Formats: sequence, structure tokens, C-alpha cells
Amino acid sequence: MKVLAATLATVMLLAGLALVPLPAGAADQEIPLTIEKNRFEPAEIKVKAGAPFVLVITNKDKSAEEFESKDLKIEKVIAGGKTVKVKVPALKAGTYKFVGEYHEATAQGRIVAE
Amino acid sequence: MGGTFLITLREAFEAALLLGLVYTYLDKIDARQHFGWVSLGGALGLAASIAMGVTVAYFSGPLVDLGPDVIAAAVIFLAVILLTWHAWWMQRHARGISGEVERRIEHARRTQRLWMVGLIAFTGVFREGAETVIFLWGLMAEATSAAGWGSVAAGVAGVGSAALLGWMIFRGGRRLSLARFFTVTTVLLIFLAAGLFSTGIGRLQSLGVLPMMAPLWDTSWLLSDSSVVGSFLAGLLGYRERPSPLEAAGYAAYLVVVGSVILGGAWRRPQPATAVRAGASR
Repeated sequence: MKVLAATLATVMLLAGLALVPLPAGAADQEIPLTIEKNRFEPAEIKVKAGAPFVLVITNKDKSAEEFESKDLKIEKVIAGGKTVKVKVPALKAGTYKFVGEYHEATAQGRIVAE
Repeated sequence: MGGTFLITLREAFEAALLLGLVYTYLDKIDARQHFGWVSLGGALGLAASIAMGVTVAYFSGPLVDLGPDVIAAAVIFLAVILLTWHAWWMQRHARGISGEVERRIEHARRTQRLWMVGLIAFTGVFREGAETVIFLWGLMAEATSAAGWGSVAAGVAGVGSAALLGWMIFRGGRRLSLARFFTVTTVLLIFLAAGLFSTGIGRLQSLGVLPMMAPLWDTSWLLSDSSVVGSFLAGLLGYRERPSPLEAAGYAAYLVVVGSVILGGAWRRPQPATAVRAGASR
């Protein structure tokens, strides 16, 4: 049992270590996204399917916002007045919704990959 | 304002649950003098959350963009390992409970690595702590009016309510018998860890380490993750409204493999102490 627990731990550690050498992906397209008055601008983003890209999210509000997409498995807190880059892996064609978790009533948008 | 309360309650819930459980656990094995390990772990988790929150709020650059995500994923898998370990350990000691409680407690105290319990407290607080710090910070930055300060108060009240919940778990857990507490907690921890494991897989997908996939199902119409019930089920059992096939498979695999290894032992009777006693009574 101890051996099993140790093996399990090692496997998980390795999975964690696999994270470290992340590819740089310098050529990925950067797409701006602004948060202002608890809304996303633009609310709809068109991207090419099959190509990874970088969302450059600028929060112009004073309050923090959490960019959250259940479809993309991304949760990213952006402090007030900050800009954060979020790498998005290549997407299959389709619509991917995202929200601002702290102001979900107004902060809504989607990414359309085609 | 109500939304603010729910957001911080949701973020702090998991930390409160874990702190409540480990404090109760130490109380159960008569190791209250080691409460300090849990408090230290929780305090370090809070300090790390504030440090991370300040870093993210004041600095920017590629390291700040990516660093928190990598750290978050690492913390998730660390928590899975710790919780698995603890659940396994507890279950081993919950077996053959009919016997001498005091001897078992003594054994538990001698063999348990108490810093592990402290580390559980650390990961519990740190996992969502930085987000809560940034959120509250933003509220305070915005709080120039009475309504603004009301939001801050609601946010603080959310964290406070989560802490109260942890305290209630502590009070309630103390009343359970040792055997029942160990069994209930073991099962709870297995589900919690399974949910975390699938969350971790999702993070690896968003980081591009694992491939992105279309959701296996969508039950957001039935029970949304961000509703009160949905978010508590997400924290406790790992409920997802739109899981990827990998997340769902990871969850199921964890439950089946770890669940059967840990709980499977409960149906066997390998406890030497029990065997000896059974022999003596014959």
C-alpha cells in the first residue's frame, strides 16, 4: 500500500513537472480583450480554428475581474487596471463562452473558432 | 452585495472545510497540542495568498501571466497527493475499530506525520486564497462610497461565514465517534480529491499540456457550477456542468482506483490486533 501511495505520488509529481518546460509559442496571434464597466469589449471574438492564440485582457475597471471559461478550463483573475496575457490552446471549430465571474450578470462573451 | 458575499463564501468554502476536518482530526486523536501545525499551515497559506495577490496586482510580464497558473496547477496536484495520503492513512486506522481506541490513538499519534496535516491546511488556504485577496483588494480600491464599503463588508462576511462553517464542522465532527468520523472523513476526502484531480486535469488542458476537448455533457441548464448548490457540490464532490472527456475520465479513474484501494481494505480483516483478540476470546 505504501508503495502504491508512493508510486501514485511520483506519477502526479511527474505530471506536475511536465508543466515546467512550456513551449514559448512566440508567433501566436495576440487578440485584445477589454473589460470596462464590468463588460467585455468585444463581446464576440473570432479566431481561426486549430491555431493557438493569446488573449491580451485589459481590465480598465478599478475592481478585479475573473476571466472564466468553463469551455476553455481557464480561470484567470485580473486585478483592477492590469493587463494579463492568457494563452489559449488550439480550438476546434465551435463557440466557447466566457464570463467575468465577479460580474456575471453583465460580463459575458464568447469566442467563435471557425 | 449579495453576489459579493456568495463569491467570497464560495472561494473560502474549501479552505474552511479542510481546516475544520484537520482540526477535528487532531482533536480526535488527542493531539490538540499539535493544533499549531494546522494554524501555521493556514497562516502560511494566507501569507502566500497575500504575496501572490500583491504580485499579480502590482507587477506584470510573462512570468506573472503564466506563473500563477503553473503554481495553481502544482498546488492542486500537491493537494490531491496529500488528501489521498491522509484518506488512506485514516482508513487504515479506522479498520477493526471495535478494539482498543486508546491504543489506536496512541499509534496514530506516534506514526502520523503531523507536518502533512499542516501542509493540507496550507494547500487548502492557498488554493483559492490569492483570488480572494485580489477580489477583496479590488473591492476596497473601488470603495469610495457607502455602497462600496458595503460590498467590502459583504465580501468579508462571506469569508467569515465560510470560517463559521468550518467551525461547525469542527463542533459536529467532535460529537461523532472516532470510527464514524474516520470513515465519513475518508469518503469525503476521496470525493474531494477526485474532484481536485479532475480540476487539475482541466488546468493542464488549458495550459496546453493535455489536449483541449469538447465537453462530454452540458448540465448547466440543470445545475450551474456558479449557483450556490452547484458550487458546494463542485467543492465537495467535484461536480462540473461541462466536463471534458479527460476530466470525467480522470474523476472516474481516481474514484475507482483510489477508492477501491483505500476503502477496499475496509472489508478485509488484516488487523493483527483484532486477530489476536479474536483468538484470545475463543
